[in-house]
Amino acid sequence: MKRAFIAALGVLLVALALYPITATGYGIRFMLQLFMWVALAQSWNLISGLTGYVSFGHVAFFGTGAYATGILVATHGWHWMPASLMGGVAGAILALIIGYPCLRLKGPYFAISMLGLNEVMRVLVSYFEGLTGGGSGLSLPALHASVPIYYATGLAAVAVTATAFLIITSRFGLRLMTIREDEVAAEAMGIDTARYKLYAFLLSAFVPGVVGGLQARDQGYIEPMAVFPLLTTITMIVMALFGGKGTVWGPALGAVTLFVFQELVWARFLYLHQVLFGAIIIVVVLLMPRGILGILQQRYQLPRTI
Amino acid sequence: MGVIITPAMVGQVVISGLLAGALYSMVALGLALIFGVMRVINVAHGTILMLGAYTTFWWFQLLGINPYLSLLLSMPLMFLLGVFLQRSMVHRVVDAPELSSLLLTFGISIALVNVTQYAFSSDVRSVEFLTGSFLVGPLALSKSRLISFAFAVGLTLFAFWFLQKTKLGKAIRATSQSREVAMVCGVNVQRIHLYAFGMASALAAAGGSLVAVIVAIQPEMGQVYTFKSFLVIVLGGAGNYPGALLGGMLLGLVEQLSSLFLTTQVSEAVAYVLLVLVLLLRPTGLFGGRST
Amino acid sequence: MQANAILEVRDVTKRFGGVTAVNRCSLALAQGKIYGLIGPNGSGKTTLFNCITGLERRDAGEVRFKGARIDGLKPYQVARRGIGRTFQIIRVFPELTALENLLVVTGGPFEAARRRAEELLRFVTLDRLGNEYAGNLSYGQQKLLEFIRVLMADPELILLDEPAAGVNRTLLNELLAAITRLRDQGKTILIVEHDMKVVMGLCETVFVLDYGEKIAEGPPGLIQTDERVIEAYFGR
Repeated sequence: MKRAFIAALGVLLVALALYPITATGYGIRFMLQLFMWVALAQSWNLISGLTGYVSFGHVAFFGTGAYATGILVATHGWHWMPASLMGGVAGAILALIIGYPCLRLKGPYFAISMLGLNEVMRVLVSYFEGLTGGGSGLSLPALHASVPIYYATGLAAVAVTATAFLIITSRFGLRLMTIREDEVAAEAMGIDTARYKLYAFLLSAFVPGVVGGLQARDQGYIEPMAVFPLLTTITMIVMALFGGKGTVWGPALGAVTLFVFQELVWARFLYLHQVLFGAIIIVVVLLMPRGILGILQQRYQLPRTI
Repeated sequence: MGVIITPAMVGQVVISGLLAGALYSMVALGLALIFGVMRVINVAHGTILMLGAYTTFWWFQLLGINPYLSLLLSMPLMFLLGVFLQRSMVHRVVDAPELSSLLLTFGISIALVNVTQYAFSSDVRSVEFLTGSFLVGPLALSKSRLISFAFAVGLTLFAFWFLQKTKLGKAIRATSQSREVAMVCGVNVQRIHLYAFGMASALAAAGGSLVAVIVAIQPEMGQVYTFKSFLVIVLGGAGNYPGALLGGMLLGLVEQLSSLFLTTQVSEAVAYVLLVLVLLLRPTGLFGGRST
Repeated sequence: MQANAILEVRDVTKRFGGVTAVNRCSLALAQGKIYGLIGPNGSGKTTLFNCITGLERRDAGEVRFKGARIDGLKPYQVARRGIGRTFQIIRVFPELTALENLLVVTGGPFEAARRRAEELLRFVTLDRLGNEYAGNLSYGQQKLLEFIRVLMADPELILLDEPAAGVNRTLLNELLAAITRLRDQGKTILIVEHDMKVVMGLCETVFVLDYGEKIAEGPPGLIQTDERVIEAYFGR
């Protein structure tokens, strides 16, 4: 069973790697966006699915990475690859600064503080116009091929999924989960929950930063509203939830399902699309909060590594 | 900054702060009710405010009567909407982990905002009713803000009287302190939840109606009020209703004062920074609430 | 100060708003004995546990473990010094398996930890259920799991909060036997209990709390006849 799965996975990865040869520009863009969502949903899962601390402003790391990369590329002439990695570093640094105090807050307050963080970043970026182009945005020199970005984003998605797998199957991951299950008991068992939370938070902020940087490079233009929208955070959360938060493949599954749905079905009906999205959120929260994989796990006693 | 700040300016700013603050207080009281009684984080609160504003707009547009009278329509209407939302969906996430209520109310909010966009378009509307200001010495008090302020104060006082003196109000307060004990005392907690959500929505709607004569009306206008209501609750302390009042006033003052020294853009950020600071330094609120 | 006291609580006070839950409480535990902590409901027993283990910050007083002060340390630091505790309401990790519940406790090489965990599961005959989610176990099984989870870190001082609550007779005897065996291995144990038979049968010294104050201390036989204790339980 496991062999077949790994084989299938290998085939999938090869297919994805070869895809750009036969694909159209639209196809590449589509898959690129898909990879982005997988990476985002998986990242969110690392902190919120595992520790239960709801990061309700996670897109702040995405936006920060986008701007860090954008500035390095546009103003300092960096190549986008190292610049995107720096985007990730920027995200991680932000997580360190804000995580250290905020992770001490309990449930709803942590969520609200993350929301506040998101807005603060958005306004900060608008304020430092000299650096970031403020409200009028930041333009990057033109890039005429999305294919390298496709691979880079795909790599990010693979990396974060692999990280999720490694974490969830390790004692580190188990300890993160004890924070979600019963933080007080975890502390009483000798687990330094503050440190573990921070590690998870840093890890969860890095990839969105990288992916933000890659998106900035791909779109060629960023502005505050585009890279700090609450809707992006909500979307990555709903994707992770739909697939099953706390599992390895759940967020990826959710991202693929919902993104494909969205692109193929809803984009045709603009207003309806948003209302439908609202409806999907409501349905997921009320009827399937454990997500698809979560439900399957419970029903069939599947191992956690699915 | 090269700007001389006169006492008159400070006075002006303080007045503006209080005028705005009263509105924040009233709307935040609604959010505090929902959070206090049900532990639900209602992201759709500002959306209901927006619906109240639209109610006022259409009232004025179609009937031509004094928009302040639209309170008679917007409040009961949104009360019913609130009860409906609670009864159909929100009751399922009472006591659930915060993610559930955050997402659920966000989903409701998105749906409502987009239905509004679809029905009324995204065009910015406004209600031109009272223009001009009363001049009191060197201070100019915008008429519409002043009247809105008066209504807000009146409604808030009424809400407090209601919570303190009426049986239902006391039941609501009891439930927000301890649900189990309230149940044992014969309080129908399910019904209290309905009333609380309805009342909160009515307050939000009132806020919407009262700002409709002041600010631009568009489907997305609610988000900022939701956020500010969160901030007020954090300032005042969760479950602390009088604290919400003080918090609202404080927010109004801080906002206006900071606009003296900073650009308007940044003074927006002040609210957010204040939120994060208070959460970090005094999570139980400046005026002593209770921790979750 | 008692020589060889492994745990010393000196004048610890803890207030919650207007209520003084623990009031200048002092006690000393010698190593290798079983102690009992009893008192009517609300007398501050669990709060005292919390102050010792760092879950609550005491307002006044000191707590010393093996001579060193531990008040003010965070709970995980206290745990790592060698103090383990269970809770009044069972706090296993429901979505982790029984085995995983144990594995999260120690560091060190994985294999060694796993062997020890399996050994402990055998100790309480839960070894068949190692891969069962802890949330699916019965009350008694969870109780046992919480008990051995504490032992995973091999603590020197073990605080048990109502280990007999809701436990059937057979299980209880197993638990008591296990506790006695631990004492024989040199561990020190402090038990909060309401079941007087357990306390009187197991404990060598009993402390009695009432309204946060220690009102009596001594061997079980003496405590049973102490006037203040009787008044505390029945006289109000």
